[in-house]
Amino acid sequence: MTAEYAGPIIEMRHVDKHFGQLHVLKDINLTVDKGEVVVLIGPSGSGKSTLCRTINRLETIDSGEILFQGVKLPEEGKELAALRAEIGMVFQSFNLFAHRTILDNVTMGPIEVLRKPKKEAEEEAMELLRRVGVAEQAAKVPAQLSGGQQQRVAIARSLAMHPKAMLFDEPTSALDPEMINEVLDVMVELAKQGMTMVVVTHEMNFARRVANRVVFMADGQIVEQNTPDEFFDHPQSDRARDFLNSIKGH
Amino acid sequence: MSAAVSMRDALYEAPGPKTRRRVAIGTAISLVALAALVAFVIRQFYINDQLNPRYWSFFARWTTWRFLLRGFLGTIRVALVAGILAMGLGLLLMLGRISSSKVLSGICHVITDLFRSLPSLLLIYFFFLVIPKYGLKMPSFWMITIPVALAASGVLAEVFRAGVNAVPKGQTEAAMSLGMTHGKITRKIVLPQALRIVIPSLVSQLVVVVKDTTVAYVVSYPDLMQNARVLISNYDALVSMYFVVALIYIAINYATNRFSIYLAHRSGAKIISRTEENPV
Ligand SMILES: Nc1ncnc2c1ncn2[C@@H]1O[C@H](COP(=O)(O)OP(=O)(O)O)[C@@H](O)[C@H]1O
Ligand SMILES: [Mg+2]
Repeated sequence: MTAEYAGPIIEMRHVDKHFGQLHVLKDINLTVDKGEVVVLIGPSGSGKSTLCRTINRLETIDSGEILFQGVKLPEEGKELAALRAEIGMVFQSFNLFAHRTILDNVTMGPIEVLRKPKKEAEEEAMELLRRVGVAEQAAKVPAQLSGGQQQRVAIARSLAMHPKAMLFDEPTSALDPEMINEVLDVMVELAKQGMTMVVVTHEMNFARRVANRVVFMADGQIVEQNTPDEFFDHPQSDRARDFLNSIKGH
Repeated sequence: MSAAVSMRDALYEAPGPKTRRRVAIGTAISLVALAALVAFVIRQFYINDQLNPRYWSFFARWTTWRFLLRGFLGTIRVALVAGILAMGLGLLLMLGRISSSKVLSGICHVITDLFRSLPSLLLIYFFFLVIPKYGLKMPSFWMITIPVALAASGVLAEVFRAGVNAVPKGQTEAAMSLGMTHGKITRKIVLPQALRIVIPSLVSQLVVVVKDTTVAYVVSYPDLMQNARVLISNYDALVSMYFVVALIYIAINYATNRFSIYLAHRSGAKIISRTEENPV
């Protein structure tokens, strides 16, 4: 039973992926344990998003295998949908359902996938919206909210599914600077409560505060991984040093 | 800012003094040209004796209007039923076309293109002349409604497909990562947004349906056009009758268009335009 499962939550073994001629993931091996927060960092185009998206099979892989809670990812159908329901995903562009209210966005998964009664789903959704600080916006549609608010709703929408792990693909890079922290604060809170997280981000402070491990990617490969302090203060590879110098200007 | 920015405001910046002068000149020229055209039409009517009361007096009779009204209702009935059928069939064709089954998708593609490329008159002749030969008798209402609906369904399938393609991929991906299945995503996320996107094209297509119904006389269905033709032969008043009937068709389609604008504002404005209200 999954309840007693004690091994790693996510395991990627020798994963390779191409987009046509482009080799985007090269022999990726990565393990994420329960409660771990892993930050993925690296230059643009190095394959971070693709890696993240293979974990809930928004992208297929060419070879190797990916296990979630010790079980190989299903390839299609109801099984795949059921697996995705257990993995939260937060996108750079929020991707809230544009035609539904904030409340509907959060209850959509519980009602349509978990088949919760509407009332119960709404009560829990309001609780989650309060937790991320946007409860007053519940009746609005996404376009009426600021980017930071939308991203917090997106996090609440994922949490409503009670995921076993969450993937964040540059959750703050589409936000105005003054809104970044309101989103990061929610993520820090989640990390503290023991959520297993894979986060693509260049927010060094966030990484230092909550990451157990920083994984540095370049050209589709994992070049090095280390604790955040070790990685940021003593990068081993030239590529990581160059990269860190290039983002320090920010 | 009003609830929805008008297209003109969105496309052009506010006019300056020079532009305003040019707009004023353009307006004046258009008005003169329009007046000249109206004068010319009236003159031609006069020269050809079309203003003779003989061609117009029967419009004062109640029976004329009652007969035209019956035709009008016939037209509305055909257009409404054909429009609804076409939308349903168009939706099914589109869903088949985007399904993952290659065979179903191929079949729906062929049917869509077939209906789209055949002139509706040809389809009408098919239902009027060919099908009855094989023993299938149907009322003239269906002989006009079905072919008009089929012709429109092909175009509507393409309109719907364009709408589905216009829904951002992120919407589907977000739904997939919640664990929603393909069918649910289509019904709950993609279609509702696609329909809102295509409302304007959808209604332009319904205008085409209204226009297609004018060939109902082929099957002797008493629509507006057919009844107008009867009146024309009764009163020998071709120009005046066509003139009045044209105005009625223009009114129908103008109303259809206004309705589409109303619908688009009502359902789309909320999504597309961000309110001024400061997000707290
Ligand atoms: N759907 C796709 N089709 C083709 N190429 C893609 C696609 N998605 C990403 N790529 C390419 O794969 C490489 C890795 O992209 P991505 O994973 O988005 O990198 P990152 O998130 O690190 O910036 C880039 O060169 C990108 O252009
Ligand atoms: Mg990326």
